[in-house]
Amino acid sequence: MDRLALRGADLVLVGMHWLWRGLGLSNNTLFVVELDAPVDPERIRRALDRFLDLCPWPAARLARPFPWGALHWAAGDRAGLPAPLVRHRPAASDDERHAALEAELNAAIDPRREPPLRVLILGRLLVLTWFHPLMDPRGGQNLLVHLADLDRHGGRVPEGAARPVFVAAPDPRPLRERGRIARSSLAHMRALAAVPPISLGTGVTARGRIRFRQQRFLEREPAGEDRRATREISWRLALVGRALAELWRRRGLPDVPFLVPISVDLRPKGEPGPIFGNLLAFHFARFRPSETADLPELARTLRGRMAEALRDGQIEANAVAMDFLRYRPLRWMLRELPWTAERETFSFNCADIGEFVPAGTLFGRTVVNAYHAPAILPRPGIGVFFNRCCGQSNLVTTWVEGVVSEDEVTRIVDVIREGLGWDRTC
Amino acid sequence: MPKQSDSDRVAGALVAFINDNIMAHGHPIGPDDDLEGAGVDSMAFLKILLFVEREFGFWMPDEDLLRANIASARALAGYICRRGKPA
Repeated sequence: MDRLALRGADLVLVGMHWLWRGLGLSNNTLFVVELDAPVDPERIRRALDRFLDLCPWPAARLARPFPWGALHWAAGDRAGLPAPLVRHRPAASDDERHAALEAELNAAIDPRREPPLRVLILGRLLVLTWFHPLMDPRGGQNLLVHLADLDRHGGRVPEGAARPVFVAAPDPRPLRERGRIARSSLAHMRALAAVPPISLGTGVTARGRIRFRQQRFLEREPAGEDRRATREISWRLALVGRALAELWRRRGLPDVPFLVPISVDLRPKGEPGPIFGNLLAFHFARFRPSETADLPELARTLRGRMAEALRDGQIEANAVAMDFLRYRPLRWMLRELPWTAERETFSFNCADIGEFVPAGTLFGRTVVNAYHAPAILPRPGIGVFFNRCCGQSNLVTTWVEGVVSEDEVTRIVDVIREGLGWDRTC
Repeated sequence: MPKQSDSDRVAGALVAFINDNIMAHGHPIGPDDDLEGAGVDSMAFLKILLFVEREFGFWMPDEDLLRANIASARALAGYICRRGKPA
């Protein structure tokens, strides 16, 4: 196979980015893995090379036949596939390391001209950077684990192991049925479009540098009985909403409902296969900044709406509908969500990226921590992401310079930390 | 011990649902496995609660979502059996 069609969620990511065409905005996402010692870059290069023998997509190019063909990943012969770049920099101070990570996030990958994936070894950090539409965070985790597996077995698929699958199976349902399901999602999207969202980035028109802050925390164990509740995305979303509502009030923004897309991971749990593409559907949460005053009630309401969206098939319908974006994703977005023409997207980004559970060592090193840091658009201009690894909770706040200040980010982190009962570890 | 076997049957039904609808093939869970540790996230857990609603006829209230009730399929089965008992 030398072509891989983009999935619906990939196309949404490409479409939103296109709204800012010409500014060279980054659509990178980072997966940062902290190890107990630096990895040998040659081992990564060798594993990537062996991986390309099995699957070309980390070295493919984004292509689209003129004029209205579907966007896809195109790969040539194996001999002509340039391996993704693996760079190596020695250990540096914390500040220098963070500056290098932000530079990595901002150095936009152009997937039409270079591989959509690259690797940076920064002292004890192993950083996988990819063009976000290539795969979702769990896809990136799985790819890294697969590369480490190849390294462990001398570059071969382990004896007796099933040959890995890199592409999701197509939806087996007939076109007519999928069309019917997709139409029900469209009706829901039209209802959402009735009230345009605003964000802290509203009014921003120029490119700003993307910044991020990662802090790791430990949960206080005595609160174990209600631990599950605070790990629920509904609770976390309500809490992030409360932190941002404070800023809304301070800036005198109106009490217009937040509109926040919540990604739903469609990958089977425990699936270690490095399947490419964003295997996601979306649930759209709406609540007013003023509703964050009663956090338990808001979390309960958001949770009830998510259950309702699952019960009536809305989330599944969203996944099916996105698959119809093959040819004209932007045109669809502009028609169904007219405010996107003004470059408004959502009020803020928020996602629970879940847990990275490394099995044993990676490239001979022990994993100490890991987190994802995705680039975001100037509007909404801020995103809050939860990650877990090795018993620690990571909070990653990403923002566009000029949209919020460092002090405001500190306040956002404090509100969330307090609400989750986390103790800072470093 | 009829109560025990009820709980086992419910746990078996939960495990079958989770393995068929949430877990990847080749990565099944058992009745005592920690659901969170197996990667069952918020949305996946809501799917389990919808299954409970469909099969056992009630929606689990938020105040009962305690770790002791939902840590594993067996813990959830125990809760379902207790809940099903006449007051």
